[in-house]
Amino acid sequence: MAIFVDKDTNVLVQGITGRLGALQTKLMLDYGTKIVAGVTPGKGGQTLFDIPIYDSVQEAINEHRIDASVIYVPASFVQDAAFEAIDAGVAFMVIITDWVPLHDELKIKAYARRSTSYIGPNTPGIIVPGQTSLGMISGSAVIPGEIAVISRSGSLSDEIAAHLSEQGIGQSVVIGLGGDPVVGLRILDVLRLLKEDEPTKGVVIVGEIGGTMEEEAAEYIQEQFDKPVIAFIAGRSAPPGKAMGHAGAIIMGERGTSKSKISAFKAAGVPVARTLQEIPALASKMLETARS
Amino acid sequence: MRLYEYEGKEIFKKCGIAVPQGALVRTGEEAQQAAIKIDREVVIKSQILTGGRGKAGGIKIAKTADDAKKIAQEMLGMELKGCKVNSLLVEEKLDIANEMYMGITVDDKNGEPTAIVSAEGGVEIEEVAKRNPEKIASSSINPLYGMRVYEAVNLIRQIGLTGKTLISTSKILCRLYDVFASYDARIAEINPLVITNEGEMVAGDSRCEIDDHSLFRHPEWQDLRIQRIDNLWEREGVKGGVNYVGLEGNIAVMANGAGLTMSLLDTIEDEGGRPACFLDTGGGLSKERMKNGVGLLLRKAKSDPRIKVILLMVRMMVSPPDAVAEGIIEATKEVKVKTPIIAIMRGRELYQKRAQELLKGSEVNLYSDIGEGTREAIRIAR
Repeated sequence: MAIFVDKDTNVLVQGITGRLGALQTKLMLDYGTKIVAGVTPGKGGQTLFDIPIYDSVQEAINEHRIDASVIYVPASFVQDAAFEAIDAGVAFMVIITDWVPLHDELKIKAYARRSTSYIGPNTPGIIVPGQTSLGMISGSAVIPGEIAVISRSGSLSDEIAAHLSEQGIGQSVVIGLGGDPVVGLRILDVLRLLKEDEPTKGVVIVGEIGGTMEEEAAEYIQEQFDKPVIAFIAGRSAPPGKAMGHAGAIIMGERGTSKSKISAFKAAGVPVARTLQEIPALASKMLETARS
Repeated sequence: MRLYEYEGKEIFKKCGIAVPQGALVRTGEEAQQAAIKIDREVVIKSQILTGGRGKAGGIKIAKTADDAKKIAQEMLGMELKGCKVNSLLVEEKLDIANEMYMGITVDDKNGEPTAIVSAEGGVEIEEVAKRNPEKIASSSINPLYGMRVYEAVNLIRQIGLTGKTLISTSKILCRLYDVFASYDARIAEINPLVITNEGEMVAGDSRCEIDDHSLFRHPEWQDLRIQRIDNLWEREGVKGGVNYVGLEGNIAVMANGAGLTMSLLDTIEDEGGRPACFLDTGGGLSKERMKNGVGLLLRKAKSDPRIKVILLMVRMMVSPPDAVAEGIIEATKEVKVKTPIIAIMRGRELYQKRAQELLKGSEVNLYSDIGEGTREAIRIAR
C-alpha cells in the first residue's frame, strides 16, 4: 500500500449530494476511486451514480467496509461530520471544506488524536497516481512515479504536480495538508510514513510562509530522514504578516518567515527552489542522486 | 477580525473579568462628562486597531475634567500609526501595585489552545520572553473540556504566585479561556492585568481577535468586519469574496489559491518585475468570484495610473472553464480600461482549450506557460 490510501481503499463521501460533493464524486469515480457509499442525512435510501446513500456514517459502516471518508459538507457542519466519522471508527479522513471555524478545527484535532488520521480542512486531497484520488487534485495533472509531493496549498499542489508530469517526472503520491492554521497531518507526520514507503524515492515539500511545519520537518530530515528531499517555499516576496498579539510573537519567535524556513531547509541539506518552475529540474537531479 | 480595546473590555465584563470604570467618548464634552462621573484622575486612550499606541502618544493622563476635555479634543481626529482616532476610552486611573500578563491563543506546533502567563506585564513582554524565559510559563488546554481551575493554578504557580493572588488570577485565566472559546477568538489577551494597591485585579487593556470563519455564529460582528477594513480595495475584495493586499509595483496580479498567488509573485520578482497587489480568489472558483476579482483589478487600474498591466493566472481544477472565461468577459464588459490583460490558463488540456475558445476575440492575451506569460507582463510594465 502507498501511504494512507491505494486502489483497494473503500471510500465514503460525506455530503455526497451537495453541489461540490456530487461534482467531485463523479470526477473521483472517473479516476477509479472505489467509492462504496455516501452520506447525506435525510437522503438515506437514495443513490447517486449507483452509489448507495445513507443517513449516517454508522449506517454506511454497518453495510460496507469503509477505509476512508472524504468530507464535503458546508463549513458549519464540518465538526459534526468529522466527529461522526471518528465515532464510527473511520481511520482516515480528508476534509475538503474551507472556511471552517478555527475552534471547530481545534476540537476536531483533539477528538481525532487517538484514533483517526486526517488531512485538511481546506485541503485539495490526496492522489496516488494510477490508483485512487480522494479530493480534487486533477487526475490529468499526475502520472505514476517515484516522487512524493507534500504541499500546504491547494491549487499550487495541482500546478506543481503538473509541472513535474510535463517533464516526465512521476509521483508516488501527491498530498495536500490544508491551508488553515490548524490542520490534521503535518509535513513531519507524512515524512515518517514516506521513510518506509517503498515506491517513494524522493520528496518535494511545497511549503509557504506562516506556521512552523517546515522548520519542524527540516529538523527531522536532518536527523532521521535518509531519502533525498527538495523544497519550495511560496511567499518569499510577500510582505510580512501582522503578528498575532504578544502571545503570537512569544510562541512564534523568529520562525514562520520564508527566511527562517529556507535557512532551516538549507541547514538540513535540502535544496530550495526559488520559483515553482525550478522544481522539475531540481527533482530530476534528486532522482538521479537517489538512483546512483 | 480585531476588536477595539473597549469592545474587548465589554466582553471581559460579561464574562466576569473586572475592567476599570470608564466610558467611550467621541467629543471633548463627552470626555469631560465621563471624567466628572469618574470623579478622579483619568486615562484617555485612543481607540485604534494597532499596537504601540502609548509610545506614539495615543494614551494620556488628565488630572481634571477640564484637562480631559482639552486632551480629548487634541486627540480626536489625529492620525496615529496610520489610523485615524475617532473615539477614546476615558477610564479611571488605577493605583498600580503590580502588572501581570495573560493570553490565550493557538500554538501552531500542536494545534492546541495555549495559555501564556507572566508575572511581568506591560509592553515589553516579548523582551521578557527572550531575556528571562523563566518568568513566562505556558500550557496547552484541551479544547473539548476547556480550562479547569486546577490547570490554571498549576500554570500560575510556575511564575511564583501564591496564596490569595494565585487563586484569584487562576480564576481570571479560566474566565479568559471562556472569552476565547465562546467568542471564537484567535487570541484573547490581558496586558497588563493590573493588581491594584487595594489588591483588586483589573484588566488594564484587552486584545481580542475574532476568527473570521466563525462570524456566522456572531452576527453582531458580521457587518462590522467589512466596515472596519480601512483600505477601500481590501474592503471591496472582502465584499466580493476575494482577498486583496496592495503592494508597491505596477503589475496587478490575481490567481486562484493563496499558495499559487504567492508563487506567481515570487516568479514575477525573480524575473525582475514588481507586483502592484496580491489578489487571491480562493482555489475553487465560481463565475461570481472570478468576475469580482477581475472587476476589482480593472477598477483599480482605472483609478491608479501606476498599474501598467493586469496578470491573471488560473489553475482550473474543478473550476469549470466556462465559469472562469465568463467571469473575465463579464468583468471586462462592465469596466472598460485600456490596461492590457494577460491570462495564464492552466489545467487539463480540455479545460485549457475550452477557456481559449471562449476568450477568443476578447481583449485578453492568453498564455499557457507561466514563464512566458510573466515575462510578457513584465515587458509591458516597462
